[in-house]
Amino acid sequence: MATLSDEALKQKIEKGHLIETTEEMTEGYKKALIQILLVQADTELMSAPSYYMAARSAPSMNTRLSAYAVIQDELGHAHITYQLLEDLGMDKEYLIYGRKPHEFKNPYGFDQPLETWVELVVANAYFDRAGITLLGDPFENTSYGPWKRSLVKIDKEELFHLRHGEVWMKRLCEAGGQAKEEIQRAADWMFPMGVEWFGMPDHLKRHTAQLEYKLKGKTNDELRQIWLSAVVPLSESCGIHVPAHFDEAQQEYVLDYEFPVDYDPSQKRWKFDSPVSWDQVFERWKKRGPYNEIYVKSIQKHYKDFMAMLNGGN
Amino acid sequence: MLPTTLNESQIWEALKEVEDPEMPISLVDMGMVFDVSVEGANTKIQLGLTATACPAIDFIFYDIRERLKKEGCEDIEIELVWDPPWTKERISEEGRFILSTWGLSV
Repeated sequence: MATLSDEALKQKIEKGHLIETTEEMTEGYKKALIQILLVQADTELMSAPSYYMAARSAPSMNTRLSAYAVIQDELGHAHITYQLLEDLGMDKEYLIYGRKPHEFKNPYGFDQPLETWVELVVANAYFDRAGITLLGDPFENTSYGPWKRSLVKIDKEELFHLRHGEVWMKRLCEAGGQAKEEIQRAADWMFPMGVEWFGMPDHLKRHTAQLEYKLKGKTNDELRQIWLSAVVPLSESCGIHVPAHFDEAQQEYVLDYEFPVDYDPSQKRWKFDSPVSWDQVFERWKKRGPYNEIYVKSIQKHYKDFMAMLNGGN
Repeated sequence: MLPTTLNESQIWEALKEVEDPEMPISLVDMGMVFDVSVEGANTKIQLGLTATACPAIDFIFYDIRERLKKEGCEDIEIELVWDPPWTKERISEEGRFILSTWGLSV
């Protein structure tokens, strides 16, 4: 392991040094790095069954091609990120096929059923925007060289997913009537899901190992603001109402509800009049959303049987 | 029906403002527009795709129609060309420069 102390490592990173190998890391650095990469890898992986469920309702062959291309990209991103974890000494096969559903670290949003083409495109517009926001930050700021380089391809491909979401949101809203109503219904549950995606506000949690080791450069609230500054104007330009607005006095986006609030996954409905504590949010996340097991099993189900068959079955 | 107000070279100019959905380069610089012809109110565009199962085909058609509608073109026909196939030699000099600064060499 590293001969440097944690403090010396942080100073080196502060001067702009990029970490390239495990030999240069302290235990603390490596632990924080594994944690943040695991969240990314699991998020990329679990977006695939989630998007696939919705993509089956694609309205035409050409739109199906677009949606499946997005899914293929996401699986590629998961592959790249699990490989980074394997390079840090983790077992990729175990991470994907060996863990229990509740051990996956993807956000609560990807534990939810995406049931229609409309929900898919709003997910592309809101959730992939969260992805680009969260991954654009380490691309600019991270101290881990291999991660930074892996994000060149990932961030470019995410742009297509985003475009897929935004163009379809606009088209459906321009059509008006039922199409626009469905977009509004999807936005009603997916927008607050995106707000929650960025975690605890800074006044409750500011200093984290991830920031101290410069694995990422921006705080939760800074990232949430970047996301809001894209998603709120997009929604408004489509004539879709979202519970947030730009506050001239504070020069930032503010939410029109007390954050965080309770969520009823069976109804896909936020209870805006029921504010809760962050402990309650963590409890809900820990309990996992309704499709956590279904999605994980869809990826793991045939693996063991198939491997046995492939290896001779004798 | 509105008569087309654009001639062929103006259509080419308009198409130069339609970007590839995956890269910051126009369809024209990408070499995907094979031919443009205008007959009366009818505008016909021959388009080559960079891949047979292009995931962005729906966007490309939509973006072309939206751009030309802004110019008053109503009767727009887009025909896919597979022979000759699109190859990267069709990318313009300017397109090559844009792609290289974006991190792609062609």
